[in-house]
Amino acid sequence: MTRRGRGVPLVAVPFAVVAVAFFVLPLVGLVQRAPWSDAWHDLTTPAARDALRLSLVCSLWSTALSIVFGVPLAYVLARTRFPGRALVRALVVLPLVAPPVVGGVALLYAFSVHNGLVGGWLHDVFGLQLTFSTTGAVLAETFVAMPFLVVTVESGLRSMDVRYEDAAASLGARPWTVFRRVTLPLVAPSLVAGATLAWARALGEFGATLTFAGNIQGRTQTMPLAVYLFLDTEPGTAIMLSLVLLAVSVVVLAALRDRWFGGIRES
Amino acid sequence: MRSRVRWMGAMLLVVVGLATTMGVATPAGAARTTAAKTRTARLSGEITVSAAASLTEAFTRLGAAFQRAHRGTTVRFNFGASSVLAAQIQGGAPADVFASADGANMQKVVASHLVRSAPADFAANLLTIVVKKGNPKHVIGLADLANVGIVAECAVTVPCGKYAAQMLSQDGVSIPSSRVTLGQDVKATLTAVSTGDADAGIVYVTDAKSAAASVTQVKIPASLNVLAVYPIASLRSSQNTALAQAWVRYVLSSTGQKALAKFGFLPAPAP
Repeated sequence: MTRRGRGVPLVAVPFAVVAVAFFVLPLVGLVQRAPWSDAWHDLTTPAARDALRLSLVCSLWSTALSIVFGVPLAYVLARTRFPGRALVRALVVLPLVAPPVVGGVALLYAFSVHNGLVGGWLHDVFGLQLTFSTTGAVLAETFVAMPFLVVTVESGLRSMDVRYEDAAASLGARPWTVFRRVTLPLVAPSLVAGATLAWARALGEFGATLTFAGNIQGRTQTMPLAVYLFLDTEPGTAIMLSLVLLAVSVVVLAALRDRWFGGIRES
Repeated sequence: MRSRVRWMGAMLLVVVGLATTMGVATPAGAARTTAAKTRTARLSGEITVSAAASLTEAFTRLGAAFQRAHRGTTVRFNFGASSVLAAQIQGGAPADVFASADGANMQKVVASHLVRSAPADFAANLLTIVVKKGNPKHVIGLADLANVGIVAECAVTVPCGKYAAQMLSQDGVSIPSSRVTLGQDVKATLTAVSTGDADAGIVYVTDAKSAAASVTQVKIPASLNVLAVYPIASLRSSQNTALAQAWVRYVLSSTGQKALAKFGFLPAPAP
Protein backbone atom coordinates (compact mmCIF):
# COMPACT_ATOMS: atom_id res chain seq x y z
CA MET A 1 0.00 0.00 0.00
CA THR A 2 1.68 3.22 -1.06
CA ARG A 3 0.08 6.61 -0.55
CA ARG A 4 0.39 9.03 -3.43
CA GLY A 5 0.17 12.85 -3.49
CA ARG A 6 -3.59 12.66 -4.04
CA GLY A 7 -4.33 12.14 -0.37
CA VAL A 8 -2.47 15.24 0.90
CA PRO A 9 -4.76 17.79 2.59
CA LEU A 10 -4.51 21.26 1.06
CA VAL A 11 -3.55 22.86 4.36
CA ALA A 12 -0.26 20.98 4.30
CA VAL A 13 0.89 22.63 1.08
CA PRO A 14 1.78 26.12 2.39
CA PHE A 15 3.68 24.58 5.31
CA ALA A 16 5.59 22.36 2.93
CA VAL A 17 6.40 25.34 0.72
CA VAL A 18 7.75 27.30 3.72
CA ALA A 19 9.81 24.30 4.73
CA VAL A 20 11.30 23.99 1.25
CA ALA A 21 12.07 27.73 1.16
CA PHE A 22 13.75 27.36 4.55
CA PHE A 23 16.14 24.79 3.11
CA VAL A 24 16.63 26.40 -0.28
CA LEU A 25 17.23 30.03 0.79
CA PRO A 26 20.53 29.39 2.64
CA LEU A 27 21.78 27.45 -0.39
CA VAL A 28 20.86 30.30 -2.72
CA GLY A 29 22.49 32.73 -0.28
CA LEU A 30 25.72 30.79 -0.39
CA VAL A 31 25.73 30.37 -4.16
CA GLN A 32 25.01 34.05 -4.88
CA ARG A 33 27.91 35.12 -2.63
CA ALA A 34 30.35 32.72 -4.27
CA PRO A 35 33.20 34.47 -6.08
CA TRP A 36 32.92 32.35 -9.23
CA SER A 37 35.56 34.27 -11.17
CA ASP A 38 38.17 33.49 -8.49
CA ALA A 39 36.85 30.02 -7.75
CA TRP A 40 39.92 28.21 -9.00
CA HIS A 41 42.30 30.53 -7.19
CA ASP A 42 40.32 30.28 -3.94
CA LEU A 43 40.33 26.49 -4.04
CA THR A 44 44.04 26.19 -4.82
CA THR A 45 45.54 28.32 -2.05
CA PRO A 46 47.93 26.18 0.03
CA ALA A 47 45.55 26.11 3.00
CA ALA A 48 42.56 25.18 0.83
CA ARG A 49 44.54 22.44 -0.94
CA ASP A 50 45.71 21.05 2.41
CA ALA A 51 42.13 21.09 3.68
CA LEU A 52 40.77 19.33 0.58
CA ARG A 53 43.47 16.68 0.71
CA LEU A 54 43.09 16.11 4.46
CA SER A 55 39.32 15.90 4.23
CA LEU A 56 39.54 13.31 1.50
CA VAL A 57 42.19 11.21 3.26
CA CYS A 58 40.61 11.39 6.73
CA SER A 59 37.06 10.70 5.55
CA LEU A 60 38.13 7.69 3.46
CA TRP A 61 40.17 6.26 6.33
CA SER A 62 37.30 6.75 8.70
CA THR A 63 34.92 5.04 6.26
CA ALA A 64 37.30 2.10 6.00
CA LEU A 65 37.54 1.83 9.80
CA SER A 66 33.75 2.10 10.05
CA ILE A 67 33.36 -0.83 7.65
CA VAL A 68 36.03 -3.00 9.28
CA PHE A 69 34.61 -2.57 12.78
CA GLY A 70 31.04 -1.53 12.07
CA VAL A 71 29.94 -4.48 9.90
CA PRO A 72 30.89 -7.12 12.49
CA LEU A 73 29.21 -5.02 15.17
CA ALA A 74 26.04 -4.71 13.11
CA TYR A 75 26.15 -8.46 12.51
CA VAL A 76 26.45 -9.20 16.21
CA LEU A 77 23.65 -6.78 17.05
CA ALA A 78 21.33 -8.20 14.40
CA ARG A 79 21.96 -11.92 14.82
CA THR A 80 22.70 -12.62 18.44
CA ARG A 81 20.89 -12.14 21.71
CA PHE A 82 22.83 -11.26 24.80
CA PRO A 83 22.02 -9.40 27.98
CA GLY A 84 22.53 -5.68 27.57
CA ARG A 85 22.17 -5.72 23.79
CA ALA A 86 19.72 -2.82 23.90
CA LEU A 87 22.22 -0.84 25.95
CA VAL A 88 25.04 -1.58 23.52
CA ARG A 89 22.88 -0.45 20.63
CA ALA A 90 21.97 2.75 22.47
CA LEU A 91 25.64 3.48 23.16
CA VAL A 92 26.54 2.91 19.52
CA VAL A 93 23.81 5.25 18.32
CA LEU A 94 24.67 7.91 20.92
CA PRO A 95 27.13 9.82 18.67
CA LEU A 96 24.27 10.25 16.18
CA VAL A 97 22.36 12.44 18.61
CA ALA A 98 25.02 13.80 20.97
CA PRO A 99 26.57 17.18 20.10
CA PRO A 100 29.88 16.48 18.30
CA VAL A 101 31.76 18.83 20.64
CA VAL A 102 30.69 16.63 23.53
CA GLY A 103 32.02 13.67 21.55
CA GLY A 104 35.32 15.49 21.14
CA VAL A 105 35.57 16.23 24.86
CA ALA A 106 34.74 12.61 25.68
CA LEU A 107 37.42 11.43 23.25
CA LEU A 108 39.90 13.73 25.00
CA TYR A 109 39.18 12.18 28.36
CA ALA A 110 39.75 8.76 26.84
CA PHE A 111 42.75 9.31 24.56
CA SER A 112 44.49 12.48 25.69
CA VAL A 113 48.09 11.80 26.70
CA HIS A 114 47.72 13.87 29.87
CA ASN A 115 44.08 13.50 30.90
CA GLY A 116 42.89 10.42 29.04
CA LEU A 117 41.92 7.04 30.48
CA VAL A 118 44.11 5.11 28.06
CA GLY A 119 45.87 7.95 26.21
CA GLY A 120 48.82 8.08 28.60
CA TRP A 121 49.27 4.32 28.39
CA LEU A 122 49.11 4.35 24.58
CA HIS A 123 51.75 7.05 24.56
CA ASP A 124 54.08 5.35 27.03
CA VAL A 125 53.81 1.84 25.58
CA PHE A 126 53.42 2.49 21.85
CA GLY A 127 54.63 6.08 21.59
CA LEU A 128 51.25 6.88 20.09
CA GLN A 129 49.72 10.34 20.43
CA LEU A 130 46.25 10.61 18.92
CA THR A 131 45.42 14.19 19.91
CA PHE A 132 46.47 16.88 17.46
CA SER A 133 47.40 14.26 14.88
CA THR A 134 45.87 13.20 11.58
CA THR A 135 45.11 9.84 13.21
CA GLY A 136 43.17 11.78 15.83
CA ALA A 137 41.16 13.53 13.14
CA VAL A 138 40.36 10.14 11.59
CA LEU A 139 39.33 8.84 15.00
CA ALA A 140 37.06 11.80 15.69
CA GLU A 141 35.41 11.38 12.29
CA THR A 142 34.99 7.63 12.81
CA PHE A 143 33.37 8.28 16.18
CA VAL A 144 30.56 10.29 14.61
CA ALA A 145 30.38 8.42 11.29
CA MET A 146 30.42 4.73 12.22
CA PRO A 147 26.94 4.79 13.86
CA PHE A 148 25.44 5.61 10.44
CA LEU A 149 26.99 2.48 9.00
CA VAL A 150 26.09 0.25 11.95
CA VAL A 151 22.46 1.38 11.98
CA THR A 152 22.05 1.01 8.21
CA VAL A 153 23.73 -2.38 7.95
CA GLU A 154 21.91 -3.71 11.02
CA SER A 155 18.53 -2.77 9.59
CA GLY A 156 19.57 -4.38 6.29
CA LEU A 157 20.48 -7.58 8.12
CA ARG A 158 17.20 -7.57 10.00
CA SER A 159 15.06 -7.13 6.91
CA MET A 160 16.97 -9.89 5.11
CA ASP A 161 15.42 -13.30 4.73
CA VAL A 162 17.41 -15.47 7.16
CA ARG A 163 16.24 -18.66 5.46
CA TYR A 164 19.04 -18.23 2.90
CA GLU A 165 21.55 -18.32 5.75
CA ASP A 166 19.79 -21.30 7.30
CA ALA A 167 19.81 -23.14 3.98
CA ALA A 168 23.53 -22.54 3.48
CA ALA A 169 24.28 -23.65 7.04
CA SER A 170 22.17 -26.79 6.69
CA LEU A 171 24.17 -27.64 3.58
CA GLY A 172 27.29 -27.61 5.71
CA ALA A 173 28.68 -24.12 5.20
CA ARG A 174 30.64 -22.75 8.16
CA PRO A 175 29.49 -19.48 9.75
CA TRP A 176 32.32 -17.54 8.08
CA THR A 177 31.44 -18.98 4.65
CA VAL A 178 27.74 -18.21 5.21
CA PHE A 179 28.61 -14.65 6.14
CA ARG A 180 30.95 -14.18 3.20
CA ARG A 181 29.00 -15.97 0.47
CA VAL A 182 25.37 -15.42 1.50
CA THR A 183 24.91 -12.64 4.04
CA LEU A 184 27.36 -10.09 2.66
CA PRO A 185 26.05 -10.16 -0.94
CA LEU A 186 22.48 -9.86 0.33
CA VAL A 187 23.20 -6.82 2.54
CA ALA A 188 25.52 -5.21 -0.03
CA PRO A 189 23.01 -2.45 -0.85
CA SER A 190 22.70 -1.54 2.85
CA LEU A 191 26.45 -1.69 3.21
CA VAL A 192 26.96 0.68 0.27
CA ALA A 193 24.32 3.06 1.62
CA GLY A 194 25.72 2.91 5.15
CA ALA A 195 29.30 3.41 4.03
CA THR A 196 28.35 6.36 1.84
CA LEU A 197 26.38 8.01 4.62
CA ALA A 198 29.25 7.43 7.02
CA TRP A 199 31.67 8.92 4.52
CA ALA A 200 29.51 12.01 4.01
CA ARG A 201 29.18 12.45 7.76
CA ALA A 202 32.94 12.09 8.23
CA LEU A 203 33.56 14.64 5.50
CA GLY A 204 31.40 17.21 7.29
CA GLU A 205 32.69 16.50 10.79
CA PHE A 206 33.60 19.66 12.69
CA GLY A 207 33.04 19.73 16.45
CA ALA A 208 34.68 16.51 17.54
CA THR A 209 37.65 17.03 15.21
CA LEU A 210 38.25 20.58 16.42
CA THR A 211 38.00 19.61 20.08
CA PHE A 212 39.99 16.40 19.91
CA ALA A 213 42.43 16.87 17.05
CA GLY A 214 42.83 20.63 17.03
CA ASN A 215 43.16 22.90 14.05
CA ILE A 216 46.60 22.38 12.49
CA GLN A 217 47.00 23.24 8.83
CA GLY A 218 48.06 20.20 6.82
CA ARG A 219 47.55 17.87 9.75
CA THR A 220 44.08 18.18 11.24
CA GLN A 221 42.57 21.23 9.52
CA THR A 222 39.88 19.58 7.38
CA MET A 223 37.49 21.49 5.13
CA PRO A 224 34.84 22.34 7.75
CA LEU A 225 37.53 23.66 10.09
CA ALA A 226 39.08 25.69 7.29
CA VAL A 227 35.66 27.11 6.40
CA TYR A 228 35.16 28.28 9.96
CA LEU A 229 38.64 29.76 10.23
CA PHE A 230 38.66 31.53 6.85
CA LEU A 231 35.21 33.05 7.07
CA ASP A 232 36.68 36.35 8.33
CA THR A 233 39.91 36.66 6.36
CA GLU A 234 39.34 34.73 3.16
CA PRO A 235 35.57 34.51 2.68
CA GLY A 236 36.09 33.44 -0.94
CA THR A 237 37.95 30.30 0.09
CA ALA A 238 35.47 29.62 2.88
CA ILE A 239 32.49 29.87 0.53
CA MET A 240 34.10 27.78 -2.21
CA LEU A 241 35.03 25.04 0.28
CA SER A 242 31.47 25.13 1.64
CA LEU A 243 30.12 24.69 -1.87
CA VAL A 244 32.41 21.73 -2.48
CA LEU A 245 31.09 20.13 0.71
CA LEU A 246 27.50 20.83 -0.33
CA ALA A 247 28.04 19.54 -3.85
CA VAL A 248 29.45 16.30 -2.46
CA SER A 249 26.41 15.95 -0.18
CA VAL A 250 24.02 16.51 -3.07
CA VAL A 251 25.79 13.88 -5.17
CA VAL A 252 25.70 11.42 -2.27
CA LEU A 253 21.99 12.01 -1.64
CA ALA A 254 21.16 11.67 -5.32
CA ALA A 255 23.15 8.45 -5.59
CA LEU A 256 21.47 7.01 -2.51
CA ARG A 257 17.97 8.10 -3.44
CA ASP A 258 16.80 4.65 -4.43
CA ARG A 259 18.72 2.62 -1.89
CA TRP A 260 18.06 4.70 1.19
CA PHE A 261 14.82 6.55 0.61
CA GLY A 262 13.36 3.87 -1.61
CA GLY A 263 13.92 1.44 1.23
CA ILE A 264 11.91 3.63 3.57
CA ARG A 265 9.04 3.96 1.13
CA GLU A 266 8.71 0.26 0.56
CA SER A 267 8.86 -0.83 4.16
CA MET B 1 -15.55 67.21 22.29
CA ARG B 2 -13.11 67.90 19.50
CA SER B 3 -11.00 70.25 21.58
CA ARG B 4 -10.90 67.65 24.30
CA VAL B 5 -9.46 65.12 21.88
CA ARG B 6 -6.84 67.63 20.80
CA TRP B 7 -6.01 68.42 24.44
CA MET B 8 -5.50 64.75 25.18
CA GLY B 9 -3.34 64.44 22.12
CA ALA B 10 -1.16 67.30 23.31
CA MET B 11 -0.85 65.74 26.77
CA LEU B 12 0.11 62.44 25.20
CA LEU B 13 2.77 64.19 23.14
CA VAL B 14 4.21 65.79 26.27
CA VAL B 15 4.25 62.50 28.15
CA VAL B 16 5.81 60.59 25.26
CA GLY B 17 8.33 63.39 24.72
CA LEU B 18 9.32 63.33 28.37
CA ALA B 19 9.52 59.57 28.35
CA THR B 20 11.82 59.50 25.35
CA THR B 21 14.15 62.17 26.72
CA MET B 22 14.42 60.23 29.95
CA GLY B 23 15.07 57.02 28.12
CA VAL B 24 11.90 55.27 29.29
CA ALA B 25 9.52 54.05 26.65
CA THR B 26 6.77 52.25 28.58
CA PRO B 27 3.57 54.15 29.43
CA ALA B 28 3.87 53.07 33.08
CA GLY B 29 7.38 54.45 33.23
CA ALA B 30 6.17 57.61 31.56
CA ALA B 31 3.56 58.14 34.27
CA ARG B 32 6.09 57.60 37.00
CA THR B 33 8.66 59.96 35.53
CA THR B 34 6.16 62.76 35.05
CA ALA B 35 5.06 62.30 38.65
CA ALA B 36 8.59 62.83 39.91
CA LYS B 37 10.35 64.89 37.29
CA THR B 38 13.37 65.64 39.43
CA ARG B 39 14.23 62.01 40.20
CA THR B 40 16.66 60.35 37.76
CA ALA B 41 15.30 57.65 35.47
CA ARG B 42 15.24 54.24 37.08
CA LEU B 43 17.16 51.65 35.10
CA SER B 44 15.16 48.67 33.98
CA GLY B 45 14.95 46.07 31.26
CA GLU B 46 17.82 44.14 29.78
CA ILE B 47 20.81 44.58 27.52
CA THR B 48 23.14 42.24 25.65
CA VAL B 49 26.83 42.95 25.91
CA SER B 50 28.98 41.45 23.15
CA ALA B 51 32.37 41.06 24.77
CA ALA B 52 35.77 39.58 23.92
CA ALA B 53 36.19 35.99 25.15
CA SER B 54 39.02 37.08 27.45
CA LEU B 55 36.49 39.17 29.41
CA THR B 56 34.35 36.13 30.24
CA GLU B 57 35.21 35.78 33.94
CA ALA B 58 35.63 39.49 34.73
CA PHE B 59 32.45 40.63 32.96
CA THR B 60 30.38 37.76 34.36
CA ARG B 61 31.36 38.89 37.86
CA LEU B 62 30.84 42.57 37.03
CA GLY B 63 27.43 41.78 35.52
CA ALA B 64 26.26 40.08 38.70
CA ALA B 65 27.43 43.06 40.77
CA PHE B 66 25.72 45.50 38.40
CA GLN B 67 22.44 43.59 38.60
CA ARG B 68 22.60 43.63 42.40
CA ALA B 69 23.17 47.39 42.35
CA HIS B 70 20.32 47.96 39.87
CA ARG B 71 17.48 45.62 40.77
CA GLY B 72 15.22 44.78 37.85
CA THR B 73 17.93 44.98 35.21
CA THR B 74 19.37 42.06 33.28
CA VAL B 75 22.77 42.14 31.60
CA ARG B 76 23.28 39.29 29.17
CA PHE B 77 26.63 38.46 27.61
CA ASN B 78 27.65 37.20 24.24
CA PHE B 79 31.29 36.19 24.60
CA GLY B 80 33.41 35.33 21.58
CA ALA B 81 36.29 36.37 19.39
CA SER B 82 36.11 40.16 18.91
CA SER B 83 36.33 39.74 15.13
CA VAL B 84 33.32 37.42 15.13
CA LEU B 85 31.38 39.76 17.45
CA ALA B 86 32.18 42.74 15.19
CA ALA B 87 30.94 40.78 12.17
CA GLN B 88 27.78 39.84 14.09
CA ILE B 89 27.13 43.48 14.98
CA GLN B 90 27.72 44.55 11.37
CA GLY B 91 25.31 41.82 10.35
CA GLY B 92 22.60 43.31 12.55
CA ALA B 93 22.92 41.20 15.70
CA PRO B 94 20.88 42.77 18.50
CA ALA B 95 23.69 43.89 20.83
CA ASP B 96 23.63 46.97 23.08
CA VAL B 97 27.31 47.25 24.00
CA PHE B 98 30.50 46.06 22.31
CA ALA B 99 33.69 45.44 24.28
CA SER B 100 36.54 44.46 21.96
CA ALA B 101 39.98 43.06 22.72
CA ASP B 102 41.53 45.34 20.13
CA GLY B 103 41.03 48.68 18.46
CA ALA B 104 40.83 47.28 14.92
CA ASN B 105 37.58 45.39 15.43
CA MET B 106 36.03 48.33 17.29
CA GLN B 107 37.06 50.54 14.35
CA LYS B 108 35.18 48.23 11.97
CA VAL B 109 32.01 48.85 13.96
CA VAL B 110 32.74 52.59 14.23
CA ALA B 111 33.33 52.80 10.49
CA SER B 112 29.93 51.19 9.88
CA HIS B 113 28.36 54.00 11.97
CA LEU B 114 27.06 51.52 14.50
CA VAL B 115 28.35 53.01 17.77
CA ARG B 116 26.37 55.61 19.69
CA SER B 117 29.31 57.41 21.26
CA ALA B 118 33.06 57.37 20.77
CA PRO B 119 34.65 54.16 22.16
CA ALA B 120 36.54 54.46 25.44
CA ASP B 121 39.54 52.29 26.37
CA PHE B 122 38.73 50.54 29.64
CA ALA B 123 41.43 47.89 30.17
CA ALA B 124 44.68 46.47 28.89
CA ASN B 125 46.13 42.99 28.86
CA LEU B 126 49.44 41.22 28.23
CA LEU B 127 50.21 37.90 26.61
CA THR B 128 51.67 34.99 28.50
CA ILE B 129 52.74 31.41 27.87
CA VAL B 130 50.67 28.66 29.47
CA VAL B 131 51.97 25.12 29.80
CA LYS B 132 50.81 21.89 31.43
CA LYS B 133 50.56 22.03 35.20
CA GLY B 134 54.06 21.87 36.68
CA ASN B 135 55.74 22.74 33.37
CA PRO B 136 56.89 19.19 32.45
CA LYS B 137 58.62 20.40 29.26
CA HIS B 138 60.57 23.08 31.15
CA VAL B 139 59.50 25.97 28.98
CA ILE B 140 61.38 29.09 30.10
CA GLY B 141 60.60 31.61 27.43
CA LEU B 142 59.28 32.36 23.97
CA ALA B 143 62.29 30.83 22.21
CA ASP B 144 61.40 27.39 23.65
CA LEU B 145 58.08 27.43 21.77
CA ALA B 146 59.97 26.78 18.52
CA ASN B 147 60.74 23.22 19.68
CA VAL B 148 58.32 22.10 22.34
CA GLY B 149 55.72 19.94 20.56
CA ILE B 150 52.26 21.27 19.83
CA VAL B 151 51.72 24.97 20.49
CA ALA B 152 48.21 26.42 20.76
CA GLU B 153 47.77 29.89 19.34
CA CYS B 154 44.73 31.93 18.43
CA ALA B 155 44.03 32.19 14.70
CA VAL B 156 45.39 35.47 13.30
CA THR B 157 41.82 36.48 12.52
CA VAL B 158 41.08 37.04 16.22
CA PRO B 159 42.85 39.66 18.38
CA CYS B 160 44.79 37.24 20.62
CA GLY B 161 46.22 35.61 17.48
CA LYS B 162 47.08 38.95 15.92
CA TYR B 163 48.87 40.06 19.10
CA ALA B 164 50.69 36.72 19.37
CA ALA B 165 51.85 36.86 15.74
CA GLN B 166 53.02 40.45 16.28
CA MET B 167 54.93 39.44 19.41
CA LEU B 168 56.54 36.36 17.86
CA SER B 169 57.68 38.26 14.80
CA GLN B 170 59.06 41.22 16.78
CA ASP B 171 60.95 38.75 18.99
CA GLY B 172 62.18 36.70 16.03
CA VAL B 173 60.54 33.44 17.13
CA SER B 174 59.08 31.24 14.42
CA ILE B 175 57.07 28.11 15.15
CA PRO B 176 56.53 25.69 12.23
CA SER B 177 52.85 25.82 11.23
CA SER B 178 52.68 22.02 11.30
CA ARG B 179 52.95 22.23 15.09
CA VAL B 180 50.55 25.10 15.67
CA THR B 181 46.92 24.39 16.48
CA LEU B 182 44.71 27.41 15.92
CA GLY B 183 41.97 28.34 18.38
CA GLN B 184 38.89 30.29 17.24
CA ASP B 185 39.14 32.39 20.37
CA VAL B 186 41.40 32.68 23.36
CA LYS B 187 39.32 30.25 25.44
CA ALA B 188 39.65 27.54 22.77
CA THR B 189 43.41 28.15 22.74
CA LEU B 190 43.55 27.81 26.52
CA THR B 191 41.46 24.62 26.43
CA ALA B 192 43.91 23.04 23.98
CA VAL B 193 46.51 23.24 26.76
CA SER B 194 44.34 22.70 29.85
CA THR B 195 42.23 19.79 28.54
CA GLY B 196 43.88 18.85 25.28
CA ASP B 197 47.42 17.75 24.61
CA ALA B 198 48.98 20.98 23.41
CA ASP B 199 52.28 21.45 25.23
CA ALA B 200 52.17 25.22 25.34
CA GLY B 201 49.85 28.03 24.41
CA ILE B 202 49.88 31.79 24.04
CA VAL B 203 46.97 33.44 25.82
CA TYR B 204 46.28 36.59 27.83
CA VAL B 205 47.62 36.94 31.36
CA THR B 206 44.02 37.14 32.56
CA ASP B 207 43.12 33.77 31.03
CA ALA B 208 46.15 32.13 32.62
CA LYS B 209 45.09 33.66 35.94
CA SER B 210 41.53 32.35 35.78
CA ALA B 211 42.73 28.91 34.71
CA ALA B 212 45.52 28.77 37.31
CA ALA B 213 44.07 25.51 38.63
CA SER B 214 44.69 23.68 35.37
CA VAL B 215 47.71 25.35 33.73
CA THR B 216 51.02 26.86 34.76
CA GLN B 217 52.03 30.29 33.54
CA VAL B 218 55.43 31.16 32.09
CA LYS B 219 55.64 34.95 32.09
CA ILE B 220 56.80 36.90 29.06
CA PRO B 221 58.86 39.94 30.05
CA ALA B 222 57.25 43.31 29.26
CA SER B 223 60.05 44.19 26.86
CA LEU B 224 59.15 41.23 24.64
CA ASN B 225 55.39 41.52 25.15
CA VAL B 226 52.67 43.45 23.35
CA LEU B 227 49.95 45.44 25.10
CA ALA B 228 46.36 44.60 24.18
CA VAL B 229 44.07 47.59 24.71
CA TYR B 230 40.31 47.00 25.14
CA PRO B 231 37.79 49.62 23.97
CA ILE B 232 34.07 49.67 24.86
CA ALA B 233 31.14 51.50 23.27
CA SER B 234 27.36 51.47 23.42
CA LEU B 235 25.73 50.66 20.11
CA ARG B 236 23.27 52.60 17.99
CA SER B 237 21.01 49.59 17.59
CA SER B 238 20.37 49.44 21.35
CA GLN B 239 16.73 49.41 22.42
CA ASN B 240 17.74 50.38 25.94
CA THR B 241 20.25 53.20 25.61
CA ALA B 242 20.00 54.24 29.26
CA LEU B 243 21.00 50.80 30.50
CA ALA B 244 23.66 50.36 27.81
CA GLN B 245 25.32 53.65 28.75
CA ALA B 246 25.01 52.86 32.45
CA TRP B 247 26.89 49.60 31.83
CA VAL B 248 29.67 51.42 29.96
CA ARG B 249 29.93 53.97 32.80
CA TYR B 250 30.00 51.14 35.34
CA VAL B 251 32.89 49.39 33.57
CA LEU B 252 34.84 52.67 33.46
CA SER B 253 33.97 53.57 37.09
CA SER B 254 36.39 52.91 39.96
CA THR B 255 34.23 49.93 41.03
CA GLY B 256 34.47 48.40 37.56
CA GLN B 257 38.18 49.11 37.23
CA LYS B 258 38.90 47.54 40.63
CA ALA B 259 37.02 44.40 39.64
CA LEU B 260 38.89 44.18 36.33
CA ALA B 261 42.22 44.61 38.13
CA LYS B 262 41.28 41.70 40.39
CA PHE B 263 41.12 39.48 37.29
CA GLY B 264 44.56 40.62 36.16
CA PHE B 265 43.62 43.38 33.71
CA LEU B 266 45.83 46.45 33.58
CA PRO B 267 44.42 49.97 33.44
CA ALA B 268 44.08 51.28 29.89
CA PRO B 269 46.99 53.55 28.91
CA ALA B 270 46.13 57.26 28.96
CA PRO B 271 45.18 58.42 25.45
